[in-house]
Amino acid sequence: MSAFPRTPNTRPLPNVGLPTDPDYEQRLAEFEARIEAGEKIEPGDWMPYEYWRQLVRMISQHAHSEVVGMLPEGAWITRAPSLRRKLILLAKVQDEAGHGQYLYHAVETLGVDRGTLIHQLLEGKAKYSSVFNYPTLTWADVAMIGWLVDGAAIKNQTMLAHCSYGPYSRAMVRICAEETFHYKQGKEAITLYAQGTPRQRRWAQDALDRWWWPALMMFGPHDKDSPNTPALMRWKIKTKSNDTLRQEFVNEIIPELMAVGLEIPDPDLRYDEETGNWLIGPIDWAEFWQVIRGNGLMNQARMAARRQAHEEGQWVREAVEAYARRHQARQAPEKIAA
Amino acid sequence: MPDTEWPRYEVFKQDRPNRPHEAVGTVHAPDPEMALLNARDVFVRRPACHSLWVAPQDQVLTMTALEMELNPAWAEETVPEDAPVRTFHVFTRQHQRRTMVAATHVGQIQARTHREALRKALEQGEFTDRPVYLWMIVPADAITGSREEDVESLFRPAEEKHYRDQSYYSGRVFDKKALKRREREVA
Repeated sequence: MSAFPRTPNTRPLPNVGLPTDPDYEQRLAEFEARIEAGEKIEPGDWMPYEYWRQLVRMISQHAHSEVVGMLPEGAWITRAPSLRRKLILLAKVQDEAGHGQYLYHAVETLGVDRGTLIHQLLEGKAKYSSVFNYPTLTWADVAMIGWLVDGAAIKNQTMLAHCSYGPYSRAMVRICAEETFHYKQGKEAITLYAQGTPRQRRWAQDALDRWWWPALMMFGPHDKDSPNTPALMRWKIKTKSNDTLRQEFVNEIIPELMAVGLEIPDPDLRYDEETGNWLIGPIDWAEFWQVIRGNGLMNQARMAARRQAHEEGQWVREAVEAYARRHQARQAPEKIAA
Repeated sequence: MPDTEWPRYEVFKQDRPNRPHEAVGTVHAPDPEMALLNARDVFVRRPACHSLWVAPQDQVLTMTALEMELNPAWAEETVPEDAPVRTFHVFTRQHQRRTMVAATHVGQIQARTHREALRKALEQGEFTDRPVYLWMIVPADAITGSREEDVESLFRPAEEKHYRDQSYYSGRVFDKKALKRREREVA
């Protein structure tokens, strides 16, 4: 089946309701009442087609982002400045792989196979977060990704843990518990650099200069330019809008970045006494859309690396299958009967 | 060789002895042994874990309360008279809280089929002291589990890796001396 049918002509699962169904209005009212009451929607429960479509779209993009997100940092595993940093980075990249798996599992509960999604990613047909299409030039970039990019991701994911769809919410709770380590190790590493030699301080500032705006773009277009937001909020797939989350994030992180002596690369930045908000200058959305459309600095390289990893893993998959066949032929697998 | 998808396995994780197994998600693998190893890598990068079970997803019956209500025909089936009685593990979700597990192990039931096990569970009322929103019925003979002697090799190594935990970084982020000392600790 196609993962993203645009019009509700076919029912992707028996429990997905189409607007043409005779009982659609009644079911929709019951569905919305459940969400209003704070109940979770579980796989197998009735859900309107548009809810299903939005979840498949969002969760699959999120899963792909975790997978591609391994690449910018993975490039630094062999060049980590100490054994401790290498262990931390290895653990972090392993986590991102696992997070991708939690999320592919959540999409599978909506009837879209993991194989279909991975195929779409390898074909270059899947969207993922634009932030991973920027290069990691120095070790400070790896640290800054932890603090800024994972910090922004946690903001979004903490909100999504309240999602009305059970499997997505559960994946988010699990991810947030692990992701906080990513944020803290990045903050620790940048703090160390920001107090270090002049060259280390320069690297930290340079990393902030390059990652600041891409990190803010992670929250997505402004609310007025986000056509999906009203449906997502009404059904509590999201519980906060893009602009709300972005504002919460800058309010929290700006004082922390300043505290370690870094300068925010925004000439228009000002603090609004009245609201207590940090007001940022205009975001370059032209750049955002360019990167989304595949014209970022690293789009080609990321997909090439992902495809190479997939192809180079082929012999491992074949070996594992051969092992499984031989094992099954020799003996029945050990069972437990508790 | 075609690059096809491997079968899907439901994963159940037990955090500590005497705690129930909980449904945490799925992995794909060519056989139960690899499913168990994949489940370790995906769901147990950190403690705590005492035991893991995997079961092929096509042998697990998952039903929601709403699904049963809207399709009362779910319970209808013809069970062959001579079908053997088997043990089924019962998992339920009985709350609407934010958690990272789908369902929790509540007990076992003897039946000939998955649906019979679910019908019995509903009739006997043993597991329905509170409303059940989600049921998972898993035949015991479909489960492959880690063994007591696997704990050391499968789960113990993660316990040493304190740097995976956010608490490892708490309160020390701005302390340069402590950072330098900890760099030396692992070097």
